[in-house]
Amino acid sequence: MEEKEEDQTLSFSEVVEEQGQRGSEEENVVQFLDSLDSYLTLFDSLSSTLRQGWLELASARHSMGVSRINGTLLDLKPHSAATTLQVSEPDVDYMMGQPHFKLSKWASSNNENCCSGEEKIREDKLQTKSDSPQLRHRSQFSETPATNGAPLIVDDQVQKERSKSLSMFGTLVSPKLRSAQLSFETALETLIEIANMRSTMFSTSDQIRKEMAGTKG
Amino acid sequence: MYGFEALTFNVDGGYLEAIVRGHRAGLLTASDYNNLCQCENLDDIKMHLSATEYGSYLQNEPSPLHTTTIVEKCTLKLVDEYKHMLCQATEPLSTFLEYITYGHMIDNVVLIVTGTLHERDVHELLEKCHPLGMFDSIATLAVAQNMRELYRLVLVDTPLAPYFSECITSEDLDDMNIEIMRNTLYKAYLEDFYRFCQKLGGATAEIMSDLLSFEADRRAVNITINSIGTELTRDDRRKLYSNFGLLYPYGHEELAVCEDIDQVRGVMEKYPPYQSIFAKMSYGESQMLDKAFYEEEVKRLCLAFEQQVCVSVIEQALSPLLVPLLVVNYGI
Repeated sequence: MEEKEEDQTLSFSEVVEEQGQRGSEEENVVQFLDSLDSYLTLFDSLSSTLRQGWLELASARHSMGVSRINGTLLDLKPHSAATTLQVSEPDVDYMMGQPHFKLSKWASSNNENCCSGEEKIREDKLQTKSDSPQLRHRSQFSETPATNGAPLIVDDQVQKERSKSLSMFGTLVSPKLRSAQLSFETALETLIEIANMRSTMFSTSDQIRKEMAGTKG
Repeated sequence: MYGFEALTFNVDGGYLEAIVRGHRAGLLTASDYNNLCQCENLDDIKMHLSATEYGSYLQNEPSPLHTTTIVEKCTLKLVDEYKHMLCQATEPLSTFLEYITYGHMIDNVVLIVTGTLHERDVHELLEKCHPLGMFDSIATLAVAQNMRELYRLVLVDTPLAPYFSECITSEDLDDMNIEIMRNTLYKAYLEDFYRFCQKLGGATAEIMSDLLSFEADRRAVNITINSIGTELTRDDRRKLYSNFGLLYPYGHEELAVCEDIDQVRGVMEKYPPYQSIFAKMSYGESQMLDKAFYEEEVKRLCLAFEQQVCVSVIEQALSPLLVPLLVVNYGI
């Protein structure tokens, strides 16, 4: 009788474990399909963003003139990259053990420690602002400087970096060229999302294969 | 007493005006552009252009074609026609035709100076220069370190020399100074061209005053919009506007203090000829402005052909000939 109960208990726990495994497999499959769907959607988004960027660049070339926008004006002097890519290696903290890609945009060339130039500037400015008297600025976008001053300064800094990178085409550039720059910037962010999604897909796919191999064995 | 005026009527400019009107008849039509828009590759474009006046310039180009090749050959057609007209022209038409090239010279000078600042090879830069703006010592521009040297070494012997009086400083050439130099030169060139046309008088003065005023106003608007959010101060911005045009002087004063596109719209809508241009755009939008100005310019250029026997007809002819290049420049 006791053996029968033990057998029933064992089979019950096996059933629970089996159901748990199946649940985990299904979850992985769903995750894989979700990431595949996101990957394809991001690809569509990337191609339309790039197309828009190229069209805006051609429009800027038409309005500013061929001599003002061409490949021979690109700066060959040594200079640091305005945007860098960081790859986080997979470790035990990641569920899937997949690498993760992160973009650091408009990082200051003099700031070696920042992983994002915007964050460092925000920290410095907040430190300065807390010690000095603050002026109120009336505008349609006004909020108290204590809450909104830092993001505005960060935006200004980012705008300056954007203008600096466009300065090889001249200081007074068409709004279309600025739009083209924004489009290509968005395309770069989309590329990073695609890379992360692809990494998730591969990792999930490996998990599923392992589980299927384990089930067959 | 009658002096047999009919014997000498149109004796100087008649041949060239006929040539120009012939060139106008050879411009691409709307159906040509529709065909070009449906092309899927550059060989298709070459095939469609072979039936036009550009055909003879493209027929010997081997496949695979490149966009720059098509642009180069189409530009070569324009340059050949221009040179033929310049050879046949007498004064004052020859001076008028030379004035047309000064804008391209300014663009070439700025291209060489900017490219040199970015450590590009001079030969690479010379290949990108517009052929209508070439002059003998252009390659020497790469040697100059500041505007004073630029003037002393190279530009003193060119037609651009008189335009440099406001630019000569010993400041090093950087992006901002080059931009100011470009716009100051162009301002001086437009004002000089305007004075020349006024001196010619008659239909030329009437037509060219309207076109050059429109160009000056358009430049003022573009400078204003492009300088929003940059380091260019209001005073510097004001100095870059030409001293003629519909917007001169009160419109310029208002444009100099504009901080966004809607303020620019507010200024321009006070001038009836520009109300229709800004009416096509929604609030906060600036991207369609170039297209709207371009359409207005083409309308005015076409109206110039309604006049007979004036040098400005030739200037109008050279502008529309550049239009087909735009289709190719957008690329496929």
